[in-house]
Formats: sequence, C-alpha cells, structure tokens
Amino acid sequence: MTLQQRLIEALGQDAVKTAPEDLAVYAFDAYSQAQPPSVVVLPSSTREVAATVKIANDCGEPIVPRGAGTGLCGGAVPAKGGVVISFARMNRMLNLDVPNKRARVQPGLINLELSQQIHSSGLFYAPDPSSQKVSTIGGNCATNAGGPHCLSYGTTVNHVLGLEIVDHEGEVFTTSLDEVGYDLTGALVGSEGTLGIICAADVRLMNLPESVRVWLASFADVEAASETVSAIIASGIVPTALEIMDDVIVAAVEAAYGAGYPTDAGAVLLVEHAGFHDDMDERERAIERIAHEHGALSWRAAKTQRECDALWAGRKGAAGATGRIAPNYYIQDVCVPRSKLPHALACVGQSARAHGLKVGNVFHAGDGNLHPLMMYDKRDSKQVAAVIGAGNEILQACIDLGGTISGEHGIGYEKRDTLSLVFSANDLATMAKVRGVFDPRGVLNPEKIFPAGVGCAEVRPAALQ
Amino acid sequence: MRSETTINTNRIVPKTVPQLQTFVREANERGSALRIEGGNTLRGMGKPLSREGATLCTTALRAVHTYTFADLTVSVGAGITLRALRSLLAEHDQFVPLDAPRAQHATVGGTLAAGWLGPRRHLFGRPRDYVIGTHIVLADGTLAAAGGMVVKNVTGYDMSKLYVGSFGTLGILVSANFKTLPAPPCARVFIAKLPEETRLRATAAVARLEVTPSAALWIYGFKKSVDGEDGIDGRILLLLEGSSPLIERATRDVRSALGRAGVPETQVIDTGALQAYDRAVDACVATIGERSVTFRLSGTPQDSEARVRAVYVIARKHELAAESILDLMNGDLFARVSGKDARAFSQRIEGLDDALHDVFPKTMLVAGDSPIRSALNVWGEPAAAIAQMRALKAAFDPKGTLNPGRFVGGI
Repeated sequence: MTLQQRLIEALGQDAVKTAPEDLAVYAFDAYSQAQPPSVVVLPSSTREVAATVKIANDCGEPIVPRGAGTGLCGGAVPAKGGVVISFARMNRMLNLDVPNKRARVQPGLINLELSQQIHSSGLFYAPDPSSQKVSTIGGNCATNAGGPHCLSYGTTVNHVLGLEIVDHEGEVFTTSLDEVGYDLTGALVGSEGTLGIICAADVRLMNLPESVRVWLASFADVEAASETVSAIIASGIVPTALEIMDDVIVAAVEAAYGAGYPTDAGAVLLVEHAGFHDDMDERERAIERIAHEHGALSWRAAKTQRECDALWAGRKGAAGATGRIAPNYYIQDVCVPRSKLPHALACVGQSARAHGLKVGNVFHAGDGNLHPLMMYDKRDSKQVAAVIGAGNEILQACIDLGGTISGEHGIGYEKRDTLSLVFSANDLATMAKVRGVFDPRGVLNPEKIFPAGVGCAEVRPAALQ
Repeated sequence: MRSETTINTNRIVPKTVPQLQTFVREANERGSALRIEGGNTLRGMGKPLSREGATLCTTALRAVHTYTFADLTVSVGAGITLRALRSLLAEHDQFVPLDAPRAQHATVGGTLAAGWLGPRRHLFGRPRDYVIGTHIVLADGTLAAAGGMVVKNVTGYDMSKLYVGSFGTLGILVSANFKTLPAPPCARVFIAKLPEETRLRATAAVARLEVTPSAALWIYGFKKSVDGEDGIDGRILLLLEGSSPLIERATRDVRSALGRAGVPETQVIDTGALQAYDRAVDACVATIGERSVTFRLSGTPQDSEARVRAVYVIARKHELAAESILDLMNGDLFARVSGKDARAFSQRIEGLDDALHDVFPKTMLVAGDSPIRSALNVWGEPAAAIAQMRALKAAFDPKGTLNPGRFVGGI
C-alpha cells in the first residue's frame, strides 16, 4: 500500500487529503512558499497522530506539524515534502480547572478563542501574538509566541505547565512542570516541531485584572518614542504593554481600519497598564510625565472599551494593513536590549535609506523586540536584492548591539543560516545533542532551525523566488 | 551502608571558568566523578554520588559581569550568593524572585541547578522564567552559551530551561543572565496564631483575598525559628507586597477576613518584613541535628488538607514528631519529621518513608543530615518521561562525570 492508502486505512478518507488542489495551500505559511507535501492528515486525536507518525516512518516520509500556518519563517511548510499533520480538527479545550487556574487544551485551539471561552470564569490566557485571532495554541507553543502583553506577563513558555507529545517513533509521552526531572516542557516549547509533536498542552491561566487603562502618545519620530519607552522601563515602571508604530504604519492602519491613531505625528506609543485601581492614577501620572519629558506632542487616555478595542485592533492588524502600500513586505523580528532601541531604530532607518527602501516600524518597544517592515515588489529583482541587503545589515547591527535574531517569530527555515551569527559551533553542537536524542533520524520538521548542511533547499521565502 | 558524612578531602574551587573547564575535562578523561557544589545549602536533596569523586565548588565564580539597570537585565557568575545578587539589584530597586533558603550562602548556580521553587512563584513565576541566558561547562570541558541578554529570544532551543533544575547533571552552570523586576515599594508581613478550629476557615479566607498575597504560609511547629513563637499552635504568615495604597487596602481586607474566620489579633511587621518571610523560607530546610528529615509533598491548595492530615497520622504511627509549613498559594507541604534522638530516629524513619510514599509516591526529601538519608526514597516516583531524561543525560555526559547518581531515576 502507498503512504496515502495506509493513512486512509488508519484514519479514514475524510482525514486524509491527497488531491493537488488540497495540498497546494499547505505549501504556504504567512511568508514562505515551499513545495506541497505528499499528503496532509487532519487527525482528531493523539492516537491518530501517533498512527500517522508510525506510517510516515514506515514509508520513509518526514513529518511537518502545522497549526494555522500564520508563521513568518517557513516553520510549518515542508522542506522535504512528507506528511503535513494539520491540527485543525483537534481544536477543543479538554478541561478547565478554575480554582487552580489551568486548562488542558488541544493544539488546534485558536489562541483568542481560549481566552474567550474562559472569560466568564474571570480568567484569561496571557500570551497574545498579533495573529491570535487565527493562530493556535500548538503553533504558539512551537514558536514560543510572544505578543504585546508579554512585556509583563512573559511569553508562551511561561504559561505552559505540561505537554502531551507524540515522539519521532509515534510513541506518546507527557511532560509536566509538577514533576521532578529535566524541564522537557521548557525545551519543547519553542522547538518548532523538531523535537516532538504537541498533541495537548496544560496551560496556566491568569485572573482578569481589576482595572485596565490604555493611553496613546504621539511623537515627532520613532527615536523620541523609543527613548520614552527606555525611560519608562529605566524608571522602574513595567506597564502591561508598550507598543510603537511609526507614521508609515499608522497611515496604513488608519486607511484600513480607522482605529483612531493620529496621522500627523512621526510615531505613536500605545501604552496599556493592568492592575489594581489603587495604583492606576499614580501610574498614569508617572508615564505621562516621562512622555512629556521626551517630547510627546499629544497624550490621551482611551475613554471607552470600544476606543481601547479599536486601538488594539489597529495595532494587531498593522502588518496586514501595509498591503495597501506595497505588494510585498519582509518583516524582521530582531530583539535588542531596551536601552539600545533608539540606536537600533537609527540603524534601521539608515539601512532603509541606503538601499532606497520604504520601511515601516511596528514593534514591542517595551521588550526591545523590533519588527522593521520593508515594503517592496518581489517582481523587481533590484528591490529584492535591496531587501536582502538591508535585512542583513539590520540583523548584524542588532546583534552588534547585544541583541538576537528572533524575539518571537522563530527560526523556521528562513533564518536558519543566521544562527551562527549569534552562536558558536560549540553552542550549536550542544543544541544538536538535544535534537539527536529526540529526533535522531531527522524526521520531525527537517531542515528547520539549524544551519543547512548539504541539504535540499526547496523552501524559498516568497520574496526570493 | 556508606556513611553520608565521609568527606572526600579533594575539594576544588576554580577561580576562573577556563580553570573549571580544565578540571572537568581532566576528570572526564580519567573517568572520575565530580560532585558539583555551590553554597551546599541544598545538600539535603538528592542521592549521594554513585561513584566517589572530588567536589568541584563554584563559589569563586561570583563576578557581576553586566548589570544594565535601565535594561532590567543582569549577568552574574554562578557562584554569587542570592544575598549578594539581592543587594546589587536593590540599589536600583530591582529584584529577581529566587526565593531559596539560606540566601547568604546559597549560590545562584546552585539554586537554579536544584530547581528550588519558592512561595512567591504563584504571583511572580518560577526562577526558570527569569533566566534569559546561561553559560555552562559540559562534561568534556566545553563551554556553551545559550540565550543572551534580551528578554524575548527564540533563537534556537531554549537550553537554559534544560539546565535549570538539572541538578548539575547535564553541565555546570558558570554564569546566568536574568531579567529583573522593579521591586515592590512596600512589604508587610502578618503573623497570626491559628487555633486548630479556625485553620480551615482562615485558609479559605486567604484564598479569596482580592489583593493576592505574595506568600501565605501556615506554620505548625518550627519553634522560634520562624517568628519567635513557641510553635505549639499553628500560625499563618502572610506577605503582602506592592504600593503603599495597595498595602493599606490589602491590610484592611486581611484583618477583616481573618477576623471573620475567628482568628485572634494579627501581628504586623513592616520593618524587617522580608527578613521575617526569609526565616520561613529558611525553615523549609532547617534540620535538627541528625534526628530529622524534611519532606516536600507537592499538590494543589485544595488537596493540601488531606496531605497534612496524612503526614501527622503516619508520623504518629511511627512514633516520630511532625512539623509543617504549608504553602497555601501553591499547595506545597514541607513536613519535618524528627525523633527524640538520632538512634530512635534512624530506626523509625525508613518505615515512615515507605508509608509516606505508599500514599504520596512523588514525595521528595529536601533536608536531612542523618546518614540514614541515603537509604530513603529521596526523589520519589520519577517523571513519566524519565527515559527521555536518561537519554539526554547519556548524550550530554556519556561517562557520567557530573554528579552521577545524584538525580532522580538514577541520573
């Protein structure tokens, strides 16, 4: 029997996609285009995932787990064909423990839906990537997803208490922070599907805050806005979120959504603080004072829930809004120490100008996590070359400032050759020991994270085709 | 039975990382074992080494590498004490929530390696959540870096997560980078005697407080070591942290809640609040000569009552005394069991240990200076994924140079 036939026999026709028109979409994530897989499987249970892995092993095919495919670096697309396991049908919350503030969820559960389902219990799930309306908990775990609220709440790995994993041989094991031993949970989160396939996650939930305030300041340029952010953090205030957008991005956001951002400034700073009533006024005064000390042109507090929601929707929809400016964009995910933000932004501006590129900046300023967004037309090879050149310069500049190449999007396929800019051969060999234990044959999402040896290069970022 | 107190007089205290690397590499090449030690404050945890070896101590590696307070990040040598780190960060009103016993001796590296979990973790998170980068020396002497100095980092595997809680069996932490937090401006401790009949109502009331206490501990016994009380009755110790207005509001709520639960007047400590809290943390591993051991039984706050009762019943049955510190917010129970003298203790403790593990298989031992300790089930039932953990150990330390046999499951 062929791979496809064996999978159909094990999981049923309805769970197995083989037609070319069905497979084509799985060659894409939010950035890359690869070759389609040999087959796509949509399991409904851990048992079916395990059966899939065993059959794939028997047929010598690699396995690529996939959530919603919102990734930005080719993590969920096949580099060497094989079997894509889509978790679209494993999308439920299995258990909610309100007193202990935890839940067990399937990997295909959409991030925002988790928070919506637990809201009436007075709880929420903190990691909130901009993709959260679509992205799944499993995908979030695979990339250790961040988001604006990670500034004070931490990233996904700080909210995962345990995992149920199908390993490279199709066997199931569980990990738990409640158990003594190595923190396999912490190692698996962020491993981008290369160490095991997440089939369930125990997540930590938080109490909905008593009080939430959102403020908006505008500045003449991103440098002033980022100096304000650095000053806020340095003063010992860590708000729940500190986000910056420059005028390029704000113009696109307002044209697309009419979110309420001022379009006459060089940059806007969106601040949120959640906590107790008792602290809010003093916090607001302190942050406003710092903003004015650093040249804020305007300052306002969002008065209604609707206003807050609109501002956040505008921020989270920023990348999508740039579609009206240029046909393609390339978004980086560099992270620098917070005090280096103004320098990093200056480097971004210089590189963009030197290469004649339009760049927009939208970023998690409080964490030092920048997302320079370079706009171009991939049909113009000169622009493509400019994007690559500027991108490399920005990457190196941020590393030189003490930063790193990815704060939250992950390495995937697209960034794997830049890992050696940050880590030595010994560092990478140490990581490879872990992969050697959990995936000795290289069947789990091959060609991801680590720099290429002599390997297939079938995945191309959409930009470079 | 091998005596726990045999001292291998070969104790190495490298002054630099390259020196440490050389010692490790040479030991590995010889096939020797190494016992890794920081401040030795958690020596009561784990099994003795399966092979005799020299002790390699990291306390000389205590430099402050970088402290950019404006970034809220710090990088320190693993041999720095928790107290020294605290003082350094306090100068800029910052801290890292690494609540481990005997902070004046405990090292950052040892605390991380032991995976010690403190009472404030329900609010602030675990120590592993604050580690943003590490340098580690592997069994063959290689130095490897992980993470960096930024607070969000998904560049490659998060190796630091594996090192924290690995008990020195994957490698030796030589430096750690942390993200820091602004320190709460105020701290206040409440201590109230908790007569038996009020205990359950009081603990339920604490769970319902709107302003969550940083820590809530119910203490029974530990005469004079926590709060100067004689320890006959239980006491509740609450730590509140935050701004001054928040503390005042929380104080009103605590008095009201405990009052309604029938608890007599509470004692309030402002100056020295954190020191009072530290004394309770220290008590979790305090031993009584060679006639006590302390177990840690984890669970949820909801099932803690059953665990407390079971410990006292089992202790009584084995004619041993029991004292306890119950972490009301996280559910951990620290139970110190002791005998009238060392002989009586060592005759009875194995039976108690067996009985306790029959009911609570994951019970762990966290303190004890008695030689009998090495015969006890110190780690409890291994994790479900113990096979994968053993495979990692084999990959990182194939010759078993680093702390062989010390950790769970024979690792």
